[in-house]
Amino acid sequence: MPLVMVVDDDQDLAEMLSIVLTGAGMEVDLVNRGDQVMDLFNSHTPDLVLLDVMLPGIDGIEVCRIIRESSMVPIVMLTAKGDTQDVVLGLEAGADDYMVKPFKPQELVARINTRLRRNTKVGSLSILDLVIDQLEHKVIKDGKEIALTRLEFDLLATLAKEPGRVFTREALLSEVWGYQHAADTRLVNVHVQRLRSKIESDADNPEYVLTVRGVGYKAGAAKAQL
Amino acid sequence: MMISKLRIKQSLSLKVLIINIIFAIFIATIIGIFVQNRVASTVINEKISISKVEAAGALYSAQRYFKLARFKDDKELNKVIQDFIALSREDGFFSGRETVILPIPNLTKNQSVYQTVPTLLVLDSISEKFRDQVTKNEDVSNERITISYSDGKDFPGFIIGTKLNIPRSGTYEIYYLFKLDAQYQSIENITWTLVFTVFLLIILITISTKFVIRQVVSPVQAAALVAEKFTRGDFSSRMVVASNDELASLGNSFNEMAVSIQQQIYRLENLSMLQQRFVSDVSHELRTPLTTLRMAAEVIYQGKDSFDTSIARSSELLINQIDRFELLLSDLLEVSRFDAEAASIDLTTFNIANLVKRTVDYLHPTKATKLIIDSPNESIPIQADQRRIERILRNLVSNALDHSEGKNVIVRIAESDNEVAVSVRDFGLGFNEEDAPFLFDRFWRADPSRARTRGGSGLGLSIALEDTKLHQGQLLAWGSPHQGAHFVLTLPKNHGTLVQSFPITLIPEDKLSTVKE
Repeated sequence: MPLVMVVDDDQDLAEMLSIVLTGAGMEVDLVNRGDQVMDLFNSHTPDLVLLDVMLPGIDGIEVCRIIRESSMVPIVMLTAKGDTQDVVLGLEAGADDYMVKPFKPQELVARINTRLRRNTKVGSLSILDLVIDQLEHKVIKDGKEIALTRLEFDLLATLAKEPGRVFTREALLSEVWGYQHAADTRLVNVHVQRLRSKIESDADNPEYVLTVRGVGYKAGAAKAQL
Repeated sequence: MMISKLRIKQSLSLKVLIINIIFAIFIATIIGIFVQNRVASTVINEKISISKVEAAGALYSAQRYFKLARFKDDKELNKVIQDFIALSREDGFFSGRETVILPIPNLTKNQSVYQTVPTLLVLDSISEKFRDQVTKNEDVSNERITISYSDGKDFPGFIIGTKLNIPRSGTYEIYYLFKLDAQYQSIENITWTLVFTVFLLIILITISTKFVIRQVVSPVQAAALVAEKFTRGDFSSRMVVASNDELASLGNSFNEMAVSIQQQIYRLENLSMLQQRFVSDVSHELRTPLTTLRMAAEVIYQGKDSFDTSIARSSELLINQIDRFELLLSDLLEVSRFDAEAASIDLTTFNIANLVKRTVDYLHPTKATKLIIDSPNESIPIQADQRRIERILRNLVSNALDHSEGKNVIVRIAESDNEVAVSVRDFGLGFNEEDAPFLFDRFWRADPSRARTRGGSGLGLSIALEDTKLHQGQLLAWGSPHQGAHFVLTLPKNHGTLVQSFPITLIPEDKLSTVKE
């Protein structure tokens, strides 16, 4: 059973979340304060963290940043303000996805499952000299392994699987994040930027993940083929 | 001409300066002309009175001369007169006096004309009329004349004439001609000096006016600048008060007014900020319990099969009302954002035709809503905030479905060069003309007693209008009781431009023909 750590200071909501997630076949750890997250995180490593933005102790965005220093575990933020700086700050701090309150339980479960689902495709993909090992869940560049979150890996693998195709942001949202209809395309923009900062030599002149203006993104191809 | 007129009207200092210069020129000219006239007449009259005295003296000595003169015949008379003339010339050399002796016809035997020599005086200088006057009167006559010389030179002059009695020869006319050219020369010099003085005076007045204007106008200009700044929203700008005069009291009053306005504005700003913050905070604070509520309701709803019917139905109602509550909450939050002017626009370029299709499919997947795309292009790209445009479309389409009474709803898209229009036409209840102004008001309902079928928040159209305004578009509505309604959204294709033409007219096509008839 996958273990989900729920970090929320609202006791009732936390309990309700644990009822819903347990019902969906998950184990749940409950934490009420931001500054208590790391103690439990280190002793009882979760498969996914559900993180409220407003927390006593340390706020959710800071918690997210601390977790990312040591772990690539999927993080989903819970926020009451879907339109403000909170979302972008959370994503930039390393969150994979976010849910705006109030959300439907089915939607939450579906989103968590998408993040927990192991990429079952076997085999190796590549973009130029970048090797994407789906079995080992590794990305190797110049003989060195690059540490990516699962979401960043999925994003890269999705682009690499169909080298010629231009993915719209909506298509990426549905394939990588599991959204059914168009949601916030900032998710895609922020994660593409994070991915580039990890794999590209020069993030301003990307080689592996290319922007197609007005449409979306595609995997880089060798110059000779262009 | 127009421009300079305008500039004079616009600038107080220019106006004052010009008025002052005109006054200065006017007064200086009048004074100048007056002084010049007085000086000229004094100089001339002085000369004339001196000349009269001189002439009287000369005449007395002439009479004596001729009384004492002895001559036997005309020849000797001639000699005597010539001598007299020569003497007279010497005598009058310094005063520029000419002496002419003319015989009076009938009264004189000798018909010779005598004048000072050497002289080229033209005798026509002495008019017949004056001669007539001299011959008929016993008195000394005088007149202003122009003295002409045969070499073409003319001089302004003065003539004194009388009769001269020469014993045994008869009566002659004797004329003394005085040239006034020296006087006129002096007058001209004085005139030039006056002109120069007037000119200098005008320059001095101009300079002093400018100086005075700067003293008065520059504080006024500074005040205007401060007031302008204030108008532009810099409520902290104040006038500098450095003296104790009227301008200082103007500055003080202005500053007092500014302080009062600033305080009032701060108070109102604070008040409205607090109110908007409150709405926003309430909306956010409600979200966490609403999430718990929703999840609990869903859990209960999922287990409804194991409850008896009334509890199962209750759980359904609970879920529906939570949906409605959520919609109300998010709309309320959106409205508070518009009120706080905190709505931001997230521009992308997308195909609005696709978005319309998607919205119609999403809201109305089964029933027959007609969608007409009135454009040669499948794709109509537009630069706008996709989320907001989608919200406008959803609000319009769901509003139409709400009021369609089960009849068709027609959605049309049309484009022109710079605009895209989407219209939503329903054939339901419509609305009265008197209701039209309230259509976009918050929580407004055409018929309060009418049952709601879908349960919108009542904020949908008002938000749609705000979203449209944010794109500088136009959202207009047409309606007629029991004939339905027609909402037309017109957006500029490029953000930042204004709507200039309307690809879809507000009056629906099916009504257009009847209107024309």
